[in-house]
Amino acid sequence: MPIQHIKVLRNGTDEEELKVVETTGLPTWDADTKFTVVGRPQSRLEGLEKVTGRARYSYDVRLSGQLYAAVLRSPYPHARIRHIDTTKAEQLPGVHAILSSANAPDDITWYEEKSKLFDKTLRFIGDEVAAVAAESEEFAQDALRLIEVAYEPLPFVIEVEAALQPDAPRVHDKGNRVDEPTIYERGNAAAGLREADVVIEQTYTTQTAVHNSLEPHGCTAFWEGDQLTLWESTQGIFETREQVAEKLGLPEHHVRVVKEHMGGGFGSKQVPWKQTVIAALLSKQSGHPVQLMLDREAENLAAGNRNATVQRVRLGAKRDGTLTAILADIQVVVGAYMVGGEASEVNGMYERLYRCPNVRTEQIGVYINAGPCVAFRAPGHVEAAFALEAAMDELARALQLDPLTLRNRNYSEIDQKKEKPLSMPNALQVCYERATAAFGWQTYQRPAPTGPKRRGIGIAAHEWGGSGQPPAYAWIKLNGDGTVDVVTGTQDIGTGARTGLAQVAAEVLGLPIEQISVHLGDTAKGPYSPTSAGSSTQASVGPAVFAAAVEAKRQLLEVAAKLLEEEPERLEIRDGVVMVEGEPENKLTVAEVTGRLAPHMIIGQGARGPNAKDKTIRTFGAQCVEVEVDVETGEITVLRVVAAHDCGRIINPTMVDSQVFGGITQGVGFALTEERIVDEKRGLVLNANLEEYKIPTVADIPQMTNVPVNLPDLAANPTGVKGIGEPPLVPTAPAIANAVFDAIGVRLRHAPLSRRQLLAALATQAESIDKSAPPHTQEGQS
Amino acid sequence: MSSKRLLTTLAINGIEHELALEPRRTLLDALRHDLQLTGTKKVCDMGDCGACTVLVDGRAMYACLLLAVDCTDRQITTIEGLAQADELDPLQQAFIEADAFQCGFCTAGQIMSLKGLLNETPAPNDDQILRAVTGNLCRCGAYRNILKAGRLAADQVAHPEEARHADSTH
Amino acid sequence: MRPFDYVRTTTLDETCQLLGQDGDSSVRALAGGTDLLTLMKKEISVPTQLIDLKRLPDLPSGITSTAQGMTIGTLTTMTEIETNVQLQEKYPLLAEAAAVAATPQLRNMATIGGNLLQRPRCWYYRNQLVNCWLKGGDECQAQDGENQLHALFGGGPCYAVHPSDLAPALLALEATVQLRGPGGERMVPLAEFYALPEEKRRQETQLEKDELLLNIHLPGLPAGTRSTYLKAMDRKVWAFALVGVAAIVRLEEQKIVDARLVLSGVAPIPWRVTAAEQALVGATANEATFAEIAEFALADAQSLSHNAYKITLAKSLVRRALTMLTDEG
Ligand SMILES: Cc1cc2nc3c(=O)[nH]c(=O)nc-3n(C[C@H](O)[C@H](O)[C@H](O)COP(=O)(O)OP(=O)(O)OC[C@H]3O[C@@H](n4cnc5c(N)ncnc54)[C@H](O)[C@@H]3O)c2cc1C
Ligand code: SF4
Ligand code: FES
Ligand code: FES
Repeated sequence: MPIQHIKVLRNGTDEEELKVVETTGLPTWDADTKFTVVGRPQSRLEGLEKVTGRARYSYDVRLSGQLYAAVLRSPYPHARIRHIDTTKAEQLPGVHAILSSANAPDDITWYEEKSKLFDKTLRFIGDEVAAVAAESEEFAQDALRLIEVAYEPLPFVIEVEAALQPDAPRVHDKGNRVDEPTIYERGNAAAGLREADVVIEQTYTTQTAVHNSLEPHGCTAFWEGDQLTLWESTQGIFETREQVAEKLGLPEHHVRVVKEHMGGGFGSKQVPWKQTVIAALLSKQSGHPVQLMLDREAENLAAGNRNATVQRVRLGAKRDGTLTAILADIQVVVGAYMVGGEASEVNGMYERLYRCPNVRTEQIGVYINAGPCVAFRAPGHVEAAFALEAAMDELARALQLDPLTLRNRNYSEIDQKKEKPLSMPNALQVCYERATAAFGWQTYQRPAPTGPKRRGIGIAAHEWGGSGQPPAYAWIKLNGDGTVDVVTGTQDIGTGARTGLAQVAAEVLGLPIEQISVHLGDTAKGPYSPTSAGSSTQASVGPAVFAAAVEAKRQLLEVAAKLLEEEPERLEIRDGVVMVEGEPENKLTVAEVTGRLAPHMIIGQGARGPNAKDKTIRTFGAQCVEVEVDVETGEITVLRVVAAHDCGRIINPTMVDSQVFGGITQGVGFALTEERIVDEKRGLVLNANLEEYKIPTVADIPQMTNVPVNLPDLAANPTGVKGIGEPPLVPTAPAIANAVFDAIGVRLRHAPLSRRQLLAALATQAESIDKSAPPHTQEGQS
Repeated sequence: MSSKRLLTTLAINGIEHELALEPRRTLLDALRHDLQLTGTKKVCDMGDCGACTVLVDGRAMYACLLLAVDCTDRQITTIEGLAQADELDPLQQAFIEADAFQCGFCTAGQIMSLKGLLNETPAPNDDQILRAVTGNLCRCGAYRNILKAGRLAADQVAHPEEARHADSTH
Repeated sequence: MRPFDYVRTTTLDETCQLLGQDGDSSVRALAGGTDLLTLMKKEISVPTQLIDLKRLPDLPSGITSTAQGMTIGTLTTMTEIETNVQLQEKYPLLAEAAAVAATPQLRNMATIGGNLLQRPRCWYYRNQLVNCWLKGGDECQAQDGENQLHALFGGGPCYAVHPSDLAPALLALEATVQLRGPGGERMVPLAEFYALPEEKRRQETQLEKDELLLNIHLPGLPAGTRSTYLKAMDRKVWAFALVGVAAIVRLEEQKIVDARLVLSGVAPIPWRVTAAEQALVGATANEATFAEIAEFALADAQSLSHNAYKITLAKSLVRRALTMLTDEG
């Protein structure tokens, strides 16, 4: 059986490999493979449910006797609960259960054991104080108002510089540094700087950005007897099951996590948050199903955000542009707690994107008294790109090189960090070429300024993971009528996973996609699949489905061979028909084969195999942007974005386009308007809403082009697929900032590029606008 | 603590429902809780997102900022009321064809806003289509395809035959 | 939201009486509800009774032409203002302002009366954890806080800005509001209706608790008058004005004979810059004049720690508006 699964056990520093099942011989989809379903546009399989309002999200679960929960949250950025009295709330008609530090289990901890489920120390505005389950959302709110809490406010700190002072108020007893700094160095960075002809030294900052998925975090929990069911808005049903079972001391098979559809997560729903366990306990206490969904304010305060950063960057280069040194000192503002999930490795991009012998990065995490950060679509890389890609632009200007030329001059074909070859050494090259060609980078003619409006162009690149990895499992069941159920424990978080997986199965089995159903999002029904994070669902689960389909097909052909009195090797399935090579008359439909078998059933099992060991698998991309800046009003308009992203083989161009456009749209928000505003004196988050936390509207989006880059990467898996979920957001903001500079000669180093920042910079650099002449130069193009 | 419930008749998707409601219950919560019509989504509850858009007497409005008791004598249409029997509304069909959603959480609101537009302006230009959805956020960033879907549906309504033909060519 | 009773009244008198009721109950009038309900959800306004104005037969709705100008009933929706053909012809400024306000859904719901009476969006005011001066507290947290969206003029004790886009347009059009209280009706020029909040009246208007807004009266405009409303926002749509300018100009032979300039987003009430208007009258329409006028209009602006950019922005918008209005092209 062509199934292979290797588990790596880490024991201290020792790595032990445990082979679970191993066989080889899976076919691969190489460059010569002809496809009928894969690579074709395919609309979403769940489309009908979504356009009719029938798609059921966690928020939409309605069970008989269901209660609604609300959470009382800390009004202080830092405080101790002296006393809490819930008596009045308990007496309110319609209230069924109340939890607080007064009665909640004391042994459930959260956030790396730094907080209890209901902790008496509160470390940010929005930290959980108590929770109520009542017969309506309104009653639950009424009950919250009746809870009496005596708080003792404690000194707090919001600003990162202040938090690093020795006498700063301490967020945690051990201080405000998350850990020792993470330091990486190759070569000798200081010497590299000395060797340089030109040095760029600048500090860039990125803001705290909030995911603001439209469906908030939350779940509906029903604890019946010894069985707990959670309809959770999550990116990882198995991760949720494991953690919830552990926290509640339940065996895993007594916890079932269901997620049919999800209204966005963008990383913030990678891990279960306190409210999930709170809902479960409220259900246990009341004996009713309990729905606990966060309101928009809580969603902004207490359900994660993209960490703000301060990045001091130094780049050294020779006259010809060859990099001699890259240095970055990085502060990552994590909020009050570390949450888990994908880490924000801001340092990674500095270490990998450009060829450079001397690189040093130092990254520290800093606690402050504000809501905790959590992975947000390409965590770390969005932040890093904003700084590194702007610094590269500054370097290009200083060297009078075209920014594209500078990038090409420092192109890396290997993984310098691990000293391994890249699986696709020219992928970024291809992205550069396609994006710039479609954009017209080399031939760009800046339109003459019309009144106060100036045009400019910018480019930025990115690299990211997205190879996918084991483990992930899938089953394929062939029904008597020739239809197929694909079963796996993954989830479709809005990326189109159902559709992509169905395409893989349809292709292998030679069936039209209409004959395939994909069942996912239920730990009780499907085998393990990983959390949908790191752009890995299609690349992790797709190969498992592929393997399962290959296995099912093998069995099917064996049966068909008997029926057709042929050798299985001579059979092929096309369009639902099993035929014998070269004998067009000798055939059976798949339904005829499975019908003869029924009620016996063909079941294919598949597992995701390991990635190639000798190569580093990464994804790459580049975007070119044109902006228009109104130098009188400070208004920035992003006119167009051309993107080229390597995601391995493209299974469904429609979904890839949508991911790219969605990423760019979030990139526009990150670049221009999105920022959590906190009053540092009071610790207040002032825009915990969608009014003043401004995500782009339909009128804010540029004209967008996604140039397909279809480079199957067989080092990743037999389907050649890599991820596309996260990367498209990465280069957008720096490309915009670079284009703004190109337009007006003013460098904005703080995301977002607000009017306030732009107008202030314009006021101090008024003279540079007039001579903003041609920062974009045709000179030195390679 | 709670206030007097009022007997309220709501006409939703052509069916009248008699409900005893607290005055503070919004139309959105009445739909989602009392009538279990959960297709209309709650996101911000403050008029900041558009996910709760429904038609009130044919016009797009935010159900989160309407009191249910205030909706007597008004005809309300929700996403559940768009498809006639098994036939999808052209907008619904166009949303699927144009991949005008990802997570789908904003979708009902987007469709209802465009429905409001097409009710009043059967042959809208591109700018009118864009303006019609300026009050609907999409965090997944499906905007481009939402506009495409709006165009497709408008053309379909205006010239059923031609539009079908045009679709099949790409 | 806290519980409340919902009542429908049948006469204006009855409504005013109810509104004036004192004691434990606090009674508020509900029009479109787009502002009031958001305030109630955040418990900034906590009425025990809501009177539904939309069901009040005598409360005017709709747009009617009068001998000189126009009358707009308080229940007229913003969509009607945006799309009414006669209004578009006679007062394009107002239609333009309506078109860039809020969103299609909100404009379908919101009434013009409610728009004029909406409360500030100051993010301290709207935050449930803050009891700021305008809400009856002692302190204005914006003064030394995050005041990037706050006032340049008329600040102190409150530095919030008036959020309406219609109000500056109506002020430039020299509208009058018709109010009705238990003692009868009164007509108040909009310029007086809006008044900086003060110790004893922590609101932006002169409306009494027991008064209703009935109509907005617009006087006629001389032929040849041009107007525009420019609004700078953080996004292309669906945002309150960072700065807005409602400008009206009448030219005779390249000389300006009448000018009105009202700024929004810069003061707790829509802010008319009369001195700049006067300086414009008699001036020749050219870039140099406009640059001077813009300086002059903002001369008294007092920035807070984070909002100085609004001065630049306001100057640019004033210049731009005047240039647009006098451009012969
Ligand atoms: C997300 C969002 C964005 C917005 N963007 C903008 C914008 O860009 N520009 C803009 O101008 N506005 C904007 N608004 C504000 C919106 O226009 C106002 O909320 C709306 O106009 C208020 O009208 P309403 O009928 O809904 O008033 P209501 O909310 O019903 O009432 C508002 C207040 O007026 C009182 N009131 C109403 N009518 C009368 C009357 N006849 N007599 C006495 N008192 C009365 C009420 O008691 C209440 O105190 C926005 C609002 C939201 C929620
Ligand atoms: S500006 Fe006005 S509304 Fe804002 S905090 Fe100060 S007093 Fe309150
Ligand atoms: S839920 Fe009504 S506008 Fe957001
Ligand atoms: S499709 Fe996800 S928010 Fe629009």
